[in-house]
Amino acid sequence: MPTVSVPSSQQVLEVLGHIQDPDLGRDVVTLGMIKELEVSPQGKVSFTFELTTPACPVRDRFKTQAQDLVGDLPGVTGVEVRMTANVRQSFMRPKPSEILPGVKQTIAVASGKGGVGKSTVAVNLAAALRLSGAEVGLLDADIYGPSVPAMTGSRSVPEQVNGKLQPIEAHGLKLMSFGHIYPGEQPTIYRGPMVGKAIEAMMVQVDWGRLDYLVIDLPPGTGDASLTLAQAVPLTGVAIVCTPQDVATDIAVKALQMFRKLNVPPLGLIENMSWYVCSECGHRHEIFGHGGAEAAAKRLGVPFLGAIPLEDDIRADSDKGTPVVISRPESAGAKAFVHIASQVAARTSIQSFRQLPVINVH
Amino acid sequence: MDIAWEDGKRSTYTGEQLRWACPCAECRGEGGAPGRLARLTTLSPDELLIKDVTLVGQYAVQIAFESGHATGIYTFPYLRNLGA
Repeated sequence: MPTVSVPSSQQVLEVLGHIQDPDLGRDVVTLGMIKELEVSPQGKVSFTFELTTPACPVRDRFKTQAQDLVGDLPGVTGVEVRMTANVRQSFMRPKPSEILPGVKQTIAVASGKGGVGKSTVAVNLAAALRLSGAEVGLLDADIYGPSVPAMTGSRSVPEQVNGKLQPIEAHGLKLMSFGHIYPGEQPTIYRGPMVGKAIEAMMVQVDWGRLDYLVIDLPPGTGDASLTLAQAVPLTGVAIVCTPQDVATDIAVKALQMFRKLNVPPLGLIENMSWYVCSECGHRHEIFGHGGAEAAAKRLGVPFLGAIPLEDDIRADSDKGTPVVISRPESAGAKAFVHIASQVAARTSIQSFRQLPVINVH
Repeated sequence: MDIAWEDGKRSTYTGEQLRWACPCAECRGEGGAPGRLARLTTLSPDELLIKDVTLVGQYAVQIAFESGHATGIYTFPYLRNLGA
């Protein structure tokens, strides 16, 4: 009986090189995703497939593709694929950022217009990324109207250790909000420059530790808060939230254009309150119209990240302090958030391969 | 100062060139009023020497000169244009 020799590592890498990452536009071998490859004398092939995010939308497809391609090689008797993820540092920076040294990716959630559900999206985005296995923080940059404490059911006051504020932990997330620092009904009455200082303090004076993603919930507007943030940290990107009607998309476009001017790449548009399913008649109502955000995304040449329904449960669970992706993972709303989180993670991975200009002074 | 751009191009600048190109309101003028640079023909040597350069977010750099002048935020497109 003729013996079939086992393939070499080179041959295994060659077939794995046929797997293209749809978002990064290169093959997974070139991208350095295949690690710890071993071929046993008996023809058992094992390797680690390291994704750039645990929330990878094509995770399962990659695994099946890898198993099939390697399994079809002559001489292979078994394939073991270990799927892992390692979120990469944004911008291939030689050294970590000084302001948030342990944070790999910073994602801003903005809208321009108020009341479109930015905070709800930010909280659920953070929670969905956490559920996928990533280390996630959420910074509430809305100084006047902080809503993160209520939406996450975290009302405790941060402790100080070695001169640094400890983030509040809830639902596996690290949180910091002005609502934690100054709880109760007393308003924060600040002029613009103070807002900038407060946001900077929440980045510099908080012990964020090591995070894969820091999600930043921005207040409405294209002023102090957004500017401070865009100047203080190299943001990986910004996700813009809007509702379908013109009055909301028009303002969302302004917010997006502002971030473009600041060289912060738009990750895409998210449409909130897209439709409502009536519990009485079961009909789908599009209260604010249909497809506004998708049309705006197309016009601006940015990705459309997904649509979220208007649901009683999203509102009710937010008020009770549990993000809907945790409290009702099977609901249409939760599924929409999980889908959007994986889209955001994928877009963020693309940005992490971007390079900033390198400046040298002599 | 030199910059290696994302696309591989390199630009080199002298402190003097950057100082005269300072985009801040004091140097450029605002509201139609001419700025300081429009009224001057020479600058002292410590005005032309770069002391420090810091990154502003990911869209610009802030350049501090030995004289203490540091209000100019030079955006990357502006610098790219200047260094062409």
